[in-house]
Amino acid sequence: MSQAVDVPHKNKRWRIGSLEILIVGLIALVVGQQWIVTFFTNPALQTASTIFVSIVVQAMPFLVGGVLLSGAVTAFIPASLWQRVLPKNKALAVPVSGCAGMLLPGCECASVPVAGSLVSKGVPASSALTFLLAAPAINPIVLVSTFVAFPGEPALVLARFIASLATAIIVGWIWLRFGQDSWMRMASRLHLVGDTKFETFRRTAAHDFLHAGGFLVFGAAIAAFINVIIPAEWMQSVADNPVLAIGFMALLAIVLSICSEADAFVASSFTQFSLTSKLVFMVVGPMVDIKLVAMQTGIFGRRFAVRFAPTTLVVAIAMSLIVGGVLLT
Amino acid sequence: MTREVQAVILVLVGSAIIRITIDDTFLNYVKEGMRPWLLLTGGALIAMGVLAIVDVFRGERGKKDDDEPDHEPEAENDDDHAHHGPRSAWLLLLPVLAIFLVAPPALGSFAAARDLTNSAPSTAVAPPLPPGDPVEVYVSDYVNRAVWDFGKTLAGRTVAITGFVVPNPEGGWWLTRMSLACCAADAFAGKIQVVDPPEGWEEPPADTWTVVTGEWVPGGGTNSDTAIPLLAAENIVQIEQPVNPYD
Repeated sequence: MSQAVDVPHKNKRWRIGSLEILIVGLIALVVGQQWIVTFFTNPALQTASTIFVSIVVQAMPFLVGGVLLSGAVTAFIPASLWQRVLPKNKALAVPVSGCAGMLLPGCECASVPVAGSLVSKGVPASSALTFLLAAPAINPIVLVSTFVAFPGEPALVLARFIASLATAIIVGWIWLRFGQDSWMRMASRLHLVGDTKFETFRRTAAHDFLHAGGFLVFGAAIAAFINVIIPAEWMQSVADNPVLAIGFMALLAIVLSICSEADAFVASSFTQFSLTSKLVFMVVGPMVDIKLVAMQTGIFGRRFAVRFAPTTLVVAIAMSLIVGGVLLT
Repeated sequence: MTREVQAVILVLVGSAIIRITIDDTFLNYVKEGMRPWLLLTGGALIAMGVLAIVDVFRGERGKKDDDEPDHEPEAENDDDHAHHGPRSAWLLLLPVLAIFLVAPPALGSFAAARDLTNSAPSTAVAPPLPPGDPVEVYVSDYVNRAVWDFGKTLAGRTVAITGFVVPNPEGGWWLTRMSLACCAADAFAGKIQVVDPPEGWEEPPADTWTVVTGEWVPGGGTNSDTAIPLLAAENIVQIEQPVNPYD
């Protein structure tokens, strides 16, 4: 850290930073390991920690695959490409950009800054927002992970694809009809540009991983504790009531804020719940959740987020129920 | 969070994943088929972390990041700290600490007792058991054959089944093994009530792994997802937990 002292534009004097906290914290934990392990002999806590680690471990390859691909797209595909391929007619451009969402394999954390950069490059907001909603929900990695998480339920993968794409397109059209660009307060967009394309690629990937990973861990921890704390009988009675089950899963999707590449694994852990309520969870999650609304507020401004998120939530639940009713019964 | 810490976190997460994959601990959490993907994932994270550390040591190069406004809402109220990452990234240390300090075990009797169902309804016709005396059978396979196929393929055969002990609150114990659909988060339990244990046999404590050799006897119910079939034990041997603890 002596370097920080030498470089005047950085910290003016040495002080306790995150690196020191990390080192001291790690030492304290290693020293206190015996005590911590005793604490974890409680069977409920032990089970929760197993479920927690297993969700994180299972999701990690999908998350890392996602950030590597989003880094590659950011580094190797110029943003102006989207502008050239979109139809001039704005209403027509909405479904096209929804389908273009399939081309950005990333989770919602990646798509928010990308959508911001599209708007600042002159892409119509309706198209950028449709892309923002569609990309994290219908890209190949998410669909494959959904397929893996629900062995023997291919209809659920199709239902997720259709319901998510429909929601994204409908919200895009709603924005085109009623939305006002003045609601948006655009912040400057993200740069992680390096000297070479490879540097841009790996920096974007690392950045996306650090941004998305924490929320994945948070979601996994909440899911693990809900699995253990809430009595099985109680979960069963919520799950048995179709309306309660759907409301509960929608609320859970918003609270948990799980990355879309991992959410299917969390959804499938709620074994008592109906497929339709799990579909609601997986359609709502990538489009409306706590971290996403926070990021949207950061990029597009508060006036935008308070209108956009509730609209999306209503459309997402409606589409899940319609598509689920047709495909999953 | 400084870039040094971001880099260290990448390396730590990658190392934790590699570590559980190499020593087979990952089988407590996910399925065997994840092995190559976990190795690739861990390798990629370590590579990203190491390159990020190189960035830090190359010093001046890092200045580029300082001039760029961070788009993160968490960062807006941050102070003058350069190249901050998201505060949420600290949470990535939790699974690392869980793996290195606590090493959560495979799911056991607590999770098994929470699972109120014992098998999923099945109409598939069970093929005859393979030859063998005793023939090794998985718990879930035994439950399906006994509950959904009326034990037709089990009658007259001696089976050897591996599982752990879960005390039945109504007396006796269940020979139990968890199955994974995808990972330990969606595990479900298969249970067999062990009856007629050999003379002098004492019920072992919960979570003890055993191999029970015995014969199917009718009882426990059929065609119900909560039915728990019976197994008349001839021999019970305590064993170490198998490398793959799940069915």
